[in-house]
Amino acid sequence: MNRRKIGVYVCHCGGNISDYVDVEKVVDAVKGEEDVVVARTAMFTCSDATQQEIYDDIRELGLDGLVVASCSPKLHTFTFRGVAKRAGLNPFQYTQVNVREQCSWAHTDDRQGATEKAVRLVRAGIARTRLLRPLEPTVVETVPKTLVIGAGIAGLRAAIGLADIGLSVVVVEREAEVGGWVKDFGPMYPRDKEGHELVRQLEAKVRQRENIALFTSAEVVRKAGSFGDYVVDIKTHGKSAMTMQIHVGSIIVATGFDTYRPEEGEYGYGIDGVVTLPEYKKMLDAAEGPLAYHGRPVKDVAYIYCVGSRQGDAGPHQYCSRFCCSAAVHSALELYSRDPSARQFHLYRDMRTYGRYELMYRESREKGSTYLKFAEDEPPAVQKGADGRLVVTIRDQLTGQKEVRIPADLVVLVTGMVPRENDGLVGALKLPVGRDGFFNEIHPKLRPVETVVDGVTICGACQFPKNASESVASGLAAVTQSAAMLKQGRAELDPQVASVDPGLCTDCGVCYETCPYDAIRPKEEPEGRRVAVIDPATCKGCGGCAPVCPERAINLEGYTQAEIKAMIEGLAREVV
Amino acid sequence: MDYDALVVGSGIGGMESALKLGDMGYKVLVVEKEASIGGKMILLSKVFPTLDCASCISTPKMAATIHHPNIKVLTYAEVERIEREPSGRFHATIRKNPRFVDEDACTGCQQCEMACTVAVPDQFNSDLVARRAAYIAFPQAVPKKAVVDRPGTSPCTFTCPAGIKAHGYVSLTRSGEYEKAFNLILETTPLVGSLGRACFAPCEEECSRGSLEGPLPIRRIKRFVADTHYASGRPVGVQPQADQGKRIAIVGSGPAGLTAAWQLRLMGYGVKVFEAAPVPGGALALTIPAYRLPGDVVAQDVQNLRDIGVEIEVGHRVDDLEALHASGFDAVLVATGTPRSGRLGVAGEELHGVLPSLRFLEDTKLGRAGSLSGRHVVVVGGGNVAIDAARSARRLGATVEQVCLEQRREMPAFDWEIDEAIAEGVVLHDGWGVASVLGEGGVSGIALKRCTQVFDESGRFSPAYDETVRRELACDALIVAIGMGPDTEAFGRTLQLQRNRTVAVDMQTLQSSVPYIFACGDVVTGATMITQAVGSGRRAAYMIDRFLRGEDFEADTFDARLPKVEPADVLRRQKSHSRKDPLLSGKESLAEPTDFHELEAPLTEEEAHYSAGRCLDCGVCSECHECVNTCPADAIHLDMRPETIEAEVGTVIVSTGFKLFPADLKPQYGYGRFKNVITGMQMDRLLAPTRPYNKVLRPGDGRIPDRIAYVMCTGSRDETVGNPLCSKICCMYSIKQNQLIMGNLPTADVTVFTIDVRTAGKGYDEFYVQSKAMGVNFIKGRISEIRELQNGNLIVRYESIEDGGGAREEEFDLVVLAVGVQPNLDTRRLFAGDELSHDAYYYVEETDEDLSPGETSIKGVFVAGAASGAKDIPESILHAGAAVAQAAAYIEETRVSV
Repeated sequence: MNRRKIGVYVCHCGGNISDYVDVEKVVDAVKGEEDVVVARTAMFTCSDATQQEIYDDIRELGLDGLVVASCSPKLHTFTFRGVAKRAGLNPFQYTQVNVREQCSWAHTDDRQGATEKAVRLVRAGIARTRLLRPLEPTVVETVPKTLVIGAGIAGLRAAIGLADIGLSVVVVEREAEVGGWVKDFGPMYPRDKEGHELVRQLEAKVRQRENIALFTSAEVVRKAGSFGDYVVDIKTHGKSAMTMQIHVGSIIVATGFDTYRPEEGEYGYGIDGVVTLPEYKKMLDAAEGPLAYHGRPVKDVAYIYCVGSRQGDAGPHQYCSRFCCSAAVHSALELYSRDPSARQFHLYRDMRTYGRYELMYRESREKGSTYLKFAEDEPPAVQKGADGRLVVTIRDQLTGQKEVRIPADLVVLVTGMVPRENDGLVGALKLPVGRDGFFNEIHPKLRPVETVVDGVTICGACQFPKNASESVASGLAAVTQSAAMLKQGRAELDPQVASVDPGLCTDCGVCYETCPYDAIRPKEEPEGRRVAVIDPATCKGCGGCAPVCPERAINLEGYTQAEIKAMIEGLAREVV
Repeated sequence: MDYDALVVGSGIGGMESALKLGDMGYKVLVVEKEASIGGKMILLSKVFPTLDCASCISTPKMAATIHHPNIKVLTYAEVERIEREPSGRFHATIRKNPRFVDEDACTGCQQCEMACTVAVPDQFNSDLVARRAAYIAFPQAVPKKAVVDRPGTSPCTFTCPAGIKAHGYVSLTRSGEYEKAFNLILETTPLVGSLGRACFAPCEEECSRGSLEGPLPIRRIKRFVADTHYASGRPVGVQPQADQGKRIAIVGSGPAGLTAAWQLRLMGYGVKVFEAAPVPGGALALTIPAYRLPGDVVAQDVQNLRDIGVEIEVGHRVDDLEALHASGFDAVLVATGTPRSGRLGVAGEELHGVLPSLRFLEDTKLGRAGSLSGRHVVVVGGGNVAIDAARSARRLGATVEQVCLEQRREMPAFDWEIDEAIAEGVVLHDGWGVASVLGEGGVSGIALKRCTQVFDESGRFSPAYDETVRRELACDALIVAIGMGPDTEAFGRTLQLQRNRTVAVDMQTLQSSVPYIFACGDVVTGATMITQAVGSGRRAAYMIDRFLRGEDFEADTFDARLPKVEPADVLRRQKSHSRKDPLLSGKESLAEPTDFHELEAPLTEEEAHYSAGRCLDCGVCSECHECVNTCPADAIHLDMRPETIEAEVGTVIVSTGFKLFPADLKPQYGYGRFKNVITGMQMDRLLAPTRPYNKVLRPGDGRIPDRIAYVMCTGSRDETVGNPLCSKICCMYSIKQNQLIMGNLPTADVTVFTIDVRTAGKGYDEFYVQSKAMGVNFIKGRISEIRELQNGNLIVRYESIEDGGGAREEEFDLVVLAVGVQPNLDTRRLFAGDELSHDAYYYVEETDEDLSPGETSIKGVFVAGAASGAKDIPESILHAGAAVAQAAAYIEETRVSV
């Protein structure tokens, strides 16, 4: 084998690694490894200054292999591939070794052990790197068209945004009408714009734009292909039922939310006069003057917050639904605008009118709303009184735990958002779902609309509860993400994919079923044999097929049998 | 068009905007005010609720931004003005502030940082620790290039007429680098010892400490530096540049002539000084009395010149300047000063025993004056020379009376000089003019008349007398000290002179009517102070060099000082300066002076060090030149000046972020007074991987805190500070810190005082529940007051709402104020003409928040991130995404319409 020239960089990560791993010792232990020509430590390997150092080493020492021992490959694989590429080293001749999540953070009580483990991990990385060969990414032409699934406020705005940047759009809406929840709303916070009016404006714009095709009563049933050129089957229902196939470069998922339905008896739900927030909102929006319920004037309203949210042991929903405090306070203001003499009582746990919405909270207090706080383990109770009126009982935390009985004409359960049932779509798109049931982004902090599926973004309340303007902002952010990918006209797919050695394949069929991406198909060979073939554009490089092949005919590029064996040897060697 | 988009600010919102626009193929210009991109996020410890290391997830964004082929980043630059053009595009004027470091040459090696002698509060560590004036913003800075922080020139340095880097030698002295301090002064003048004694020290008048406990003894520090050098016997530490092959003659060896000679010799010219007197030094050697400036000190200073090869010929009076030129000098500098004493012009002035002051002082200093024991002397004059004469006469044994036209308060002599003279027994008669000198053959007295006015209304010298009020003083000798003038008659043949016989020159270039002849110092200006003469000599040298090189004088770059910094800004920055009292004057006070020994005691090393340590580093950089001398890449250039960059851009994204609430606006919490009350950002720094102390400890005494309190909503939801808004981020960042503290200090108790806990976001409430499970104690109740105990612990007084109400008090080791978000008011002056609308709380207004978040009142201008209101990181990213989508649409729209 030819000699390789490998550079090894071990990161302090400030103190994240070096507090628990003796990084200097790691460098000492590996600098004599075969083919290693430079080994150094760095305070932050990812910092621009160290990137520059690596760049210079690659150029000056002519490195043909790079090992970075720092954090999880999830964080910085692309960072260091970028450095390699800039310096003229094939980015696939680099190995990321995780000595933070897998070492320093896991062994804070054992510095020596953590250091030894780090040495082994780095040796394995070096061993793999010695065998890596240069790879070229598969380049696909991207289709300048985006599929938007869901025509609520986020989806509609996203479609317009895409069209305005010059991309074609296909919008698919399951319902017969566009606009989602918002189309039924009257005034919404924070600016009291009418929901139905906003939807009307958006729909008009969507219909105006020639490069938007809108399908209502339609569903996505299947997705194939890969980022840049997804092939999507759409089925329409109703009179003109049909299935069609379209090619799109990217997909924006804006399927929205569902509203929490309280259980029978939960905070008195089921008793006449106990309504959910959406039900109440509908009543308010429809009312002309002061509010009436069953013909009786509504003068006393009690709001119970956090129904279906922050449930703790009481239910499955652990999350705070974010929008509901502000929405309930806004509804209270809406009632004051119809009836300034209404008496309103808010029974809450924490008032979360974040940011500017605090001003609505202040206004509601100025207009006479009374706020009472209950403890998580002592929720208020709703009963029908002897006079037929509702009575809410609360132990008020703000007045020395006094028990307060509030007579009410209407009790509003401030219900939150819950994830919408969408199994078909989740299956078709292979969308990741989080513990709270909402779709998961790839990184909640920095990549809030991207998913692990390349080219598929999420926005609006299908990701997490949001109000209308937040949903629109995320819809436009998804537009930006799609455009940033598609405007380049081409996409590079990771070449670290699996391939089958046709000489060894016996067409046993085991791998076909293993592949979660339908990337492996049988193919007829000229001499009448049938062998498995993996489509490199569809393969995600998950590696699921390689170990199941009884003939060892499948190799994953970057993790070949030989490379894995070398890594194991690197790991197993004693640290002296 | 230069760029498709301009992004103002490079925090997370700005970087995201730039990267996405760049990925779409648009050319982007990013302008960042600070020395590094990254905004506030890069300074955080970890981020909520994922507890990702903030550095680790910011640095790739920063690197991607700076390396993106479609993005150009300007750091340390500010947008001065943006104008919308009729085409819908924008014209931006950008000021690139000087880093004083060549970005291309700097390797980020930090040698300058190690060498720098100035430490100021480190804004990137929330002032918890100090940083240098030459510094790299923080370890992960992008670009990782040094910057020299120079908001302006320190007042002491700015004021010095000689151009000496006063702040520079003070800061070097503070660092114990006395020899380097000496050498720094040598960059200006060789007369270090003389100026350390005889300078009138205008620098001390300007010292910012002056408004506190009293100024630094800057002059005496210089004397200390000089004495230390001379005592060491070290050779002079500077070398002339290579020989230029040209020679210059300098006529006169006073401070102006010697300084010019020094400068020209250092530049590599051959220099010869001609001095008529028997010793070199001019006024320093001849007329300043030895009790103020001993002759051997002057001799040491003069030796510096000889050591670098300046020839000095004494006893050689030059009258013929042309002949001098003809004898082989390429240029001639006249620096003969004002050696002639003024005359009274009254009867009796010719009598024996009437002495011109300068001759008296010269005879005295050179030891030629006899004893005046038992004699009575009258000195006429109210200036410093008169005082020198009077005090010298006292030392020669005489009783002395002094007469002057001015009232005491009007006298041109320094107040302290007059006080000292009176203390030494000089009897002062102020407000008298001389009518005549009395005596026959020899002087026997003086007739005086009442002076009613010295200066007229316009301040001109115009004495008036009441001839009816008269008195006489008897005396054996009369010393006349009423002004000095030049001795230039001989030059009149060659040069144009002014009516007062000073040499006529262009005041800018100091060139006379004969091109190769220059003149400087008092022979040009009339009598001034030594330090002004030094400044003039330095200018003359600079100009002669330009003249001999054939460079034009128009591009006059002689005075390249930055404007003076304002003391108010200094005191605001150096909030934590401690009280440091000045030293006593160190001057001996003698009622009966009998000899000429030096009156002022030298500073001890300890005193010099202490005094230099009182410096507030007004201009931050002291111009000590340590970085310049150290930089291996020669990258530091203190003569850099701001540049203006004009750019035409298609759209603008304002992502200027937010400010944190200044916690001292809640005085009841004691921030700024109590060392163990810190802000949330300071706690984030204490927890960050690049943390200043490598441990969570309290700043007051370095102890590890056991009981930590959090005060939520500091500056938020608070009408008393004018901010009713909720800041959105503080609950979550505090809970994040709580969890990190639990990890760092497992035994610590953390108590959080809240109004509501607002953890409304994906995974946020779960994060809150987790912190409760870890043992964080949340108490609903506001804090009314924090008091400090003797041991630095803090008593927090709060309302315990859920526990039955009423006020409680509890003791903590450390209190963290969860400071909220405030608008960055920089956005208000970005746009000319089309005004960018702001909301009632001074955030950039979004005109259609429901359907077009990020859109502003100016078409084509978008706002991204917290510039439009408090946002956490993912919200800023989403908001930037929204702004970018619309900005891209705007670019496409205007592109089509053109």
